[in-house]
Amino acid sequence: MDEARLTRLRDWLAAASGDASLRIEQAQKLSGGAIQQNWALDVETIAGAQRWVLRTDSAAVLAVSLPRTAEYALLKAAWDAGVTVPEPLFLCEDPGVTGAPFFIMRRVGGTALGPRVVKDAALGGGREQLARALGRELARIHRIRPPRPDLAFLGAPPADAGLAVIATLRGRLDAAGTPRPAIEWGLRAAERSAPPPVPPVLVHNDFRTGNLMLDASGVTGVLDWEFAAWGDGHADLGWLCAKCWRFGNVAQEAGGLGPRKALYAGYETESGATVDDARVRWWELMAHLRWAVIAADQAQRHLSGEERSLELALTGHIVPELEWEILFLSEGR
Amino acid sequence: MLEKPDGPDLLATAREVLLKELLPALPPDKVFAARMVANAMAIAAREAQADTAAVPARDLAQLSREIRAGRHDPGTPTHDAMRTWLRDYARLRAGVSAPKALG
Repeated sequence: MDEARLTRLRDWLAAASGDASLRIEQAQKLSGGAIQQNWALDVETIAGAQRWVLRTDSAAVLAVSLPRTAEYALLKAAWDAGVTVPEPLFLCEDPGVTGAPFFIMRRVGGTALGPRVVKDAALGGGREQLARALGRELARIHRIRPPRPDLAFLGAPPADAGLAVIATLRGRLDAAGTPRPAIEWGLRAAERSAPPPVPPVLVHNDFRTGNLMLDASGVTGVLDWEFAAWGDGHADLGWLCAKCWRFGNVAQEAGGLGPRKALYAGYETESGATVDDARVRWWELMAHLRWAVIAADQAQRHLSGEERSLELALTGHIVPELEWEILFLSEGR
Repeated sequence: MLEKPDGPDLLATAREVLLKELLPALPPDKVFAARMVANAMAIAAREAQADTAAVPARDLAQLSREIRAGRHDPGTPTHDAMRTWLRDYARLRAGVSAPKALG
């Protein structure tokens, strides 16, 4: 961030927080997503030193992800529902300050890196306790239900969330123009075996290892709300438990982090509802299908020349193993 | 006709140098990129040696349309053969892209 932007940002933050003495001591870009940029801000205020994160859009924005303003509203809704998220502080919709809309949230401790967290059996007080905590977080997220005027940008809930995802994924396959019979096989199996719709709740849609900040005591922050939508809460349980998101630690079925049973137990205690295991398993098939379509699209960004990148190129090579798993998960459906 | 060692040999040998000699000398923030390079080299080497003729070619667009329309659902005469072909096709591709996933 150049001097002029930093000055404009300081002035804006001073006004937003009502603290004319506010100083930005440091602004450092954090490694982060392809969709958005995160900056660590160390700020001096009347109340003392503050550790914040500024989150803004990258140049290349995925059409399917929600803009920062929407993400801020989701973060606020989650914070109010008791979900462990970084506290949302300020939203700036004026692109003139830093070049794009941004929001400020408190920085949380811990680590999210998938390959690292699945190897650390002591995180969150141990695997059992951590899986329970994750279940409680999901139950709190799913307490957020329509109608919610503050979340109007999510649109009306789909009549049948599962069938809606199948239609969306077929649309993306058609748009990509690369026929993928194994994915079609899985989508057809999912269509045949789709469970009946349930009343809609807020679904995070990317609640998985890698997006969950964890430390020795538990969950410190549920991150990356940009894919949230109204739908079936079991989708989140399925996405977390899907084998493709266990980072190699397949025996721990809740995201490579802990036992599935403990996840369900935490969820049931917090929600008072029973987890429908068969429904979660159906969403695990959907998780593999969705990730396969996303991975294929990411490789296409490399292939088309839109964004030449070794990481995107290698993401495409995840598709065959997902297809292999999809064929097994489709059995008996 | 071409000089030996061939592409897969060169890729495998270069990958060894990358992982054993270069990687330990890299700063931590470059380790991920180096591992990606090693992975890409391994995929390229396996691809050069893959027996693509082992799985008969099919019209993927037509198969996709038929599957979506339910023409190969359980109970149809073509279901078992289609499932077998899809497995062979996925196994061939995963064998190049991510052989560990095949167990």
